[in-house]
Amino acid sequence: MTKTVKGMLIFALVAFCASLTFPFVASALDNEAVFRGTVRVGRQVIPDVTVSIVDAAGTEVGSVVSGDDGKWAIPIPYVGEFTVQLMGPLPDGISIKEGASSEVVVVLEEVRTTSVGFQLQSEEQKTILEIPPTWERLLNRMVSGLKVGLLVALASIGLSLIFGVTGLVNFAHSEMVAFGAVIALVLESSMGLTGGLFPIAVFLAVVIGGFLGLFLEKGIFGPLRRKKMTNISLMVVSIGLAFLMRYLMLIYHGAEPETYESYKIQSGVSLGPIELPPKDYYIITIAFVTLVIVGILLQRTRLGTSMRAVSDNPALAESSGIDVNRTIMWVWIFGSALAGLGGIMIGLTQVVEWQMGEKILLLIFAAVTLGGLGTAYGAMVGGIAIGLASETSTFWLDNDLKFLIALAVLIVILLVRPQGILGVRERLG
Amino acid sequence: MIMNILAGVDIGDLLGLALRASIGVQAATFALAAVGLNLHYGYTGLLNFGVVAFMAAGAYGMAIFFTQGWLGGSLLLAIAAGLVFAIAIALSIGLPSLRLRADYLAITTIAIAEVLRISFRSQRLLDLTGGPFGLPSIEDRNAEVSFSEIVTIDWNPISDGSYGFWRLKFDEQTLWVMILGWSLVLLATLLIWGLMRSPWGRVIKAIREDEDAARALGKNVFSYKLQSLIIGGMIVALAGITRSMNTGFVETQQFKPQTTFFIWTVLILGGAASVWGPVVGAVTFWFIIVFVEELLRQMVESGWIPSVILESNDVASVRMIMMGIMLAVLMIWRPQGLVGKKEEAQIDVR
Repeated sequence: MTKTVKGMLIFALVAFCASLTFPFVASALDNEAVFRGTVRVGRQVIPDVTVSIVDAAGTEVGSVVSGDDGKWAIPIPYVGEFTVQLMGPLPDGISIKEGASSEVVVVLEEVRTTSVGFQLQSEEQKTILEIPPTWERLLNRMVSGLKVGLLVALASIGLSLIFGVTGLVNFAHSEMVAFGAVIALVLESSMGLTGGLFPIAVFLAVVIGGFLGLFLEKGIFGPLRRKKMTNISLMVVSIGLAFLMRYLMLIYHGAEPETYESYKIQSGVSLGPIELPPKDYYIITIAFVTLVIVGILLQRTRLGTSMRAVSDNPALAESSGIDVNRTIMWVWIFGSALAGLGGIMIGLTQVVEWQMGEKILLLIFAAVTLGGLGTAYGAMVGGIAIGLASETSTFWLDNDLKFLIALAVLIVILLVRPQGILGVRERLG
Repeated sequence: MIMNILAGVDIGDLLGLALRASIGVQAATFALAAVGLNLHYGYTGLLNFGVVAFMAAGAYGMAIFFTQGWLGGSLLLAIAAGLVFAIAIALSIGLPSLRLRADYLAITTIAIAEVLRISFRSQRLLDLTGGPFGLPSIEDRNAEVSFSEIVTIDWNPISDGSYGFWRLKFDEQTLWVMILGWSLVLLATLLIWGLMRSPWGRVIKAIREDEDAARALGKNVFSYKLQSLIIGGMIVALAGITRSMNTGFVETQQFKPQTTFFIWTVLILGGAASVWGPVVGAVTFWFIIVFVEELLRQMVESGWIPSVILESNDVASVRMIMMGIMLAVLMIWRPQGLVGKKEEAQIDVR
């Protein structure tokens, strides 16, 4: 097993180096900047739309019609500030997203190719906003908060367990979450696992997520730990890894946010005063059941017990006959698989995109720190608390401030009780 | 085939662009920010993952005071206000969180940086910070009523024209900002050099090596750490101000967490805990980044790299991937960077 993994690592490294040192190229570099982009909604490209660019003085620099693949490109003769306008005509049912503009201002500081995108939406993506009576709205916010909280909890357990057994604060954990969501989307679209077959895609993506964890432990962090690298250095390594993963997903998956084909739009189903799309009931149930199962596994099985033992005191665990390295490996596998599952669920409720890891990173940190770094149950409690607090806050506060609430909770808890709700007090400062 | 290749790639162009970037204003601002971070991380051992908070504090402090016309609209006073704002941020980060363990400090600082960025972006502060549009307003920018015009035009002693040779020709405005930027880098570096030779510097380094020992010798560790956070933070804030003089505006997009890690990569590449490390790091970093990016761009556009592997739209993302790989690889195999000392570059949780 180890050999295969090492082989995979070497292959990946060689492939990357090869792509960098590819044969030198023959082409004259034209010293010209180009603005380019694709007019699209999700996977649907829109041809025959006019895009024009004016400079800061209002003079038109160029104008072009998007091709059959929706792509357009306009050369820019000089640096400065430009306004890229989407002139239309847009096909029926497609419009500029609410709050977005048909004009994008781009400041070109150096001669280079720049991508410009417009935020479009199709009729079916529009949601109809209806404000129910206040207390019902509050209740719905809380249920929505519970849902978000359960998902954050699911995504956070791995981070907390990995910290518990190795002492590593893994900044790449959120990319493991995004990875699961993206893989499920790719499986769904490439293998046609839509509708009733979608759970197969979820299952496969979770397994692949587990393998990612195995790879990270056996290929990167395990060897480095044995090299006696400090946890601080490893933390910086994990940040580098996070950027690598995030931008590989951007390049090979694309910049457009997408949704799972199988559960695109669902009209709400009422359960008393609570109105949610049917998928949300499933998501809440699945997340809850998974958390309970994880709890039982940790509490009742041999492996679960050894995970908690290693987390508590690695030296003592080792001396009582627990194979510490094997336990750490399984923690990575389980943590990564759970992160992947959490990612898929988050993708189901929101969108799947390359930067979802960046968006959820601090929520996960907030959850884990609130609950107590290193304890799986803490991550669960912390996740639910963070989800409830941030979603319910939108009842009173602007939507763009809900993230601030989560961060404020994180900062306050670090200052008041850095070991978290369920953490055990030790020397922290 | 080799001849064919050499005939095709414009090596001169690649080198020209890369050299241009490595001495440009961006390199200077990253060097300056890395000098500040070097005091935090390299010398004091503070794991500051919120570098960008200080840049944002400096730039936004300056821009808000300038556009609001407070302090009589004087740019110098506005810059001073930006620095004072940076001190306030250093205190509000430091007073509560410097007692925390290193990894907790890292999480807190990155969280505070994001809190600051999201607050600046908030609709509620639209009148003050320009929300998502930044400062100054688009109209003011178009009418060239901006802080950057004061620096690049009013304060500019260089007469109009193009200076330099080959591909390293700069107009008088760029050249002036470059001179200002690199002068600040030089001053800050000399300041750090002087500080580290002083008794104060020795205490700071002692704290990095063994906090408890420094405490046992009667040093007020907390106070020294806070002083380091403030001095380094002001240097980073100056970097943020310099950068906004170059771009001509401040906007929350400029202060995302990735900027923090660009600065970290610059510092570690050059060598943490070395006086000239940040400068060496910034120059090398920008050279490598621009060289590889342009090379890839040429290769993609001429079809040497099939579009399955990389499309020309994606080349800009390669910068981030290279940053990630450099950060990880340096940390594993050369934590002391290009000019640092190995024994000074190993920092552990304490």
